[in-house]
Amino acid sequence: MQQRSFDAIVVGSGMTGGWAAKELTEHGLDTLVLEAGPPIDPDVDFVEHEPVWSFRYRGLGDRRQLAETQPVQRTCYACDEAASKFFVNDVENPYTHDDDKPFAWIRGRHVGGRSIMWARQSYRWSDLDFEANARDGFGVDWPIRYGDLAPWYDYVERFAGISGRPEGLSQLPDGQFLPAMPLNCVEESLREGIARGFGRDRVLTIGRTAVLTENHNGRAACHYCGPCHRGCVTRSYFSAVNATLPAAAETGRMTLRPNSVVAEILYDQTRDRARGVRVIDRETREEMVFTGRIVFMCASALESARILLNSKNTRFPTGLGNTSGELGRNLMDHTMGGGARATMRGFEDRDSFGRRPNGIYIPRFRNVTESHPDFLRGYGFQGGAGRPGWSRGTTMPGFGADFKHALRTPGPWQVTFYGFGECLPRNDNYVELDPAKVDAWGIPALKIHCSWSGNERAMLQDMSVTAAEMLEAGGAQDIETFVQDNPPGLTIHEMGTARMGRDPQTSVLNANNQMHDVQNIFVTDGAAMASSACQNPSLTYMALTARACDYAVERMRRGEL
Amino acid sequence: MDRREVLQWIGGAVGIHALAGVSPKRLMAIGRAVHEKQQALLVLNAHQNHTVTTLAEHIIPETDTPGASATRVNEFIDLLLAEWCDDVERERFLRGLADVDTRSLNTFGDVFVHTTPDRQIALMSGLDAEVTALRDVNGEADDHFFARMKWFTLYGYYTSEIGQTQELQSSIIPGRYDPCGPLHRDTPGEW
Repeated sequence: MQQRSFDAIVVGSGMTGGWAAKELTEHGLDTLVLEAGPPIDPDVDFVEHEPVWSFRYRGLGDRRQLAETQPVQRTCYACDEAASKFFVNDVENPYTHDDDKPFAWIRGRHVGGRSIMWARQSYRWSDLDFEANARDGFGVDWPIRYGDLAPWYDYVERFAGISGRPEGLSQLPDGQFLPAMPLNCVEESLREGIARGFGRDRVLTIGRTAVLTENHNGRAACHYCGPCHRGCVTRSYFSAVNATLPAAAETGRMTLRPNSVVAEILYDQTRDRARGVRVIDRETREEMVFTGRIVFMCASALESARILLNSKNTRFPTGLGNTSGELGRNLMDHTMGGGARATMRGFEDRDSFGRRPNGIYIPRFRNVTESHPDFLRGYGFQGGAGRPGWSRGTTMPGFGADFKHALRTPGPWQVTFYGFGECLPRNDNYVELDPAKVDAWGIPALKIHCSWSGNERAMLQDMSVTAAEMLEAGGAQDIETFVQDNPPGLTIHEMGTARMGRDPQTSVLNANNQMHDVQNIFVTDGAAMASSACQNPSLTYMALTARACDYAVERMRRGEL
Repeated sequence: MDRREVLQWIGGAVGIHALAGVSPKRLMAIGRAVHEKQQALLVLNAHQNHTVTTLAEHIIPETDTPGASATRVNEFIDLLLAEWCDDVERERFLRGLADVDTRSLNTFGDVFVHTTPDRQIALMSGLDAEVTALRDVNGEADDHFFARMKWFTLYGYYTSEIGQTQELQSSIIPGRYDPCGPLHRDTPGEW
């Protein structure tokens, strides 16, 4: 069996794996980065500028192929004809769930992972979030506070390039922003109307996004082509492929091995340390072992949990590092899809130009200063205003020359506010290995048990009410509310399955993302989260990863790891 | 111009703002795979194809820009019927197509493609009114032949090279974002 030794092993090459690779190599460690999927060549694989007519189904997708091989992945909006190749084959990568508890597990297995298709929204958490568990008793207290992470937010924002507008809100701290993308005229008008109606309590601002509005760190400013999820040849948005992995490669100390499916972490009982990982080659099915002084798990919340659960041994019979029994538990995802849409009159002679890869954000306002009677915690809104073009012709009466020419003028301005809410950490939302199912490489599949609680459902209802209130204050007409019923997982913010905490009896990781049980294992992806807040989580994962790398390197220097 | 050249050009010393002065046509050449070849029909027979082509050209006729038939929307519809629709959708569409002839024979004494353009348009106006009435009652009319025909035609036309470049004057790389500019046909967020 092939065997090689490294200072550090990083499992996963996406949002957090890329950061671990960059930080560890820049600190001088000889680092192996293992990616389960194939390599990505931006010159070939990034197809955001291919015109729609060059696709066989003009963007409608190969419906039959999707139904056969990607029945789960196709439920994600970004799994389109150009980008479905960035989503896993559901037949090769099965998982199971209870019949009455659907869970949509949306995955990317290739170098860069889901950082290629992510929606790029980047928000800091605040102490409202880090103190939430301690305040209401759900979950365990975070072992860190905003002050611990703030310098690391600064650090990752400066490298990644986050554009946004400072608002001075305590519940959504400002960051190291590049110039903000502008609101369009209707969004600006809504901002003013909402400010008149709600003061500083409810603020409509431009989304904070990991898309460059000016050239930054050798990457070009956005050119507003639109479909970011297909890749970006100008590297204008942050992804592992666009930013962190090239930085790691630059050091000369990264060995990136694609097609490397990690089956388990190998544990050395005499030293009470992980000694390395067992890998199955995706293509040849050859097994190999790589050893390292430290292991960073960055495979995503569910994959990292799965690998750890599969790394059982006599010392850890229910999964590596699972003394607490919390490994695989407390799975969360943001609840989404309460909100409202409306029409805005005025500005008929105006339209935006260019495809701004960003929308509006309305930061959380529930349970910030007052207590809501129906639910704990809160939610924010994303969305925006725009004018429909030719596609409205498909449901418009008429045909012929006048009809064709009428479609040259865009339709009335439409606005949507779409809510994303915090999910409580609950012990009965959990994953386990399915004894009856394996993936294409013989590794046990996950069985996922996850459902929304009454708190999330109450929040969805409230979203539709407050969205309508704000649209009304903003001067919108024909307001329609909605409350969708989306399965957990579909927001693609799954997290919590190896939570951080102060007590080894109730948590898997300590304040530095280090396993309580096995000191040379760090988990820095979404698995580490002790609560979910309501903000998009990737920026926090990045900051936690950079911080954990700094800690691990320091401990190694002192000879403690 | 290949992709690598484009990458150097838009990421390089020229700077992004230089893009604003470049003709959209040149930008559209990026990564283009032009389908110039006539393709063999997969589902539609000659008569059905003639009917589909005629209906489509009435829906989006040639005006100061080309119409649906110039984009060979019939071939796109044939492809969707063959590879994209399920059996139920395909059979429903073909039955609807036959029904156009039945209506034409009953009203005008000849099949659709052999009657006059005025009569063809009159017949289609009747179908369109049915779709509108259905939508008023049900909120949708997706199963109605003419709703599907119109959807196929519009989608095929506006996503064709002619639809994108001549009718919509769309730029793949706008190069800038103007939050509140004058009206234009290149609507953000749509292909």
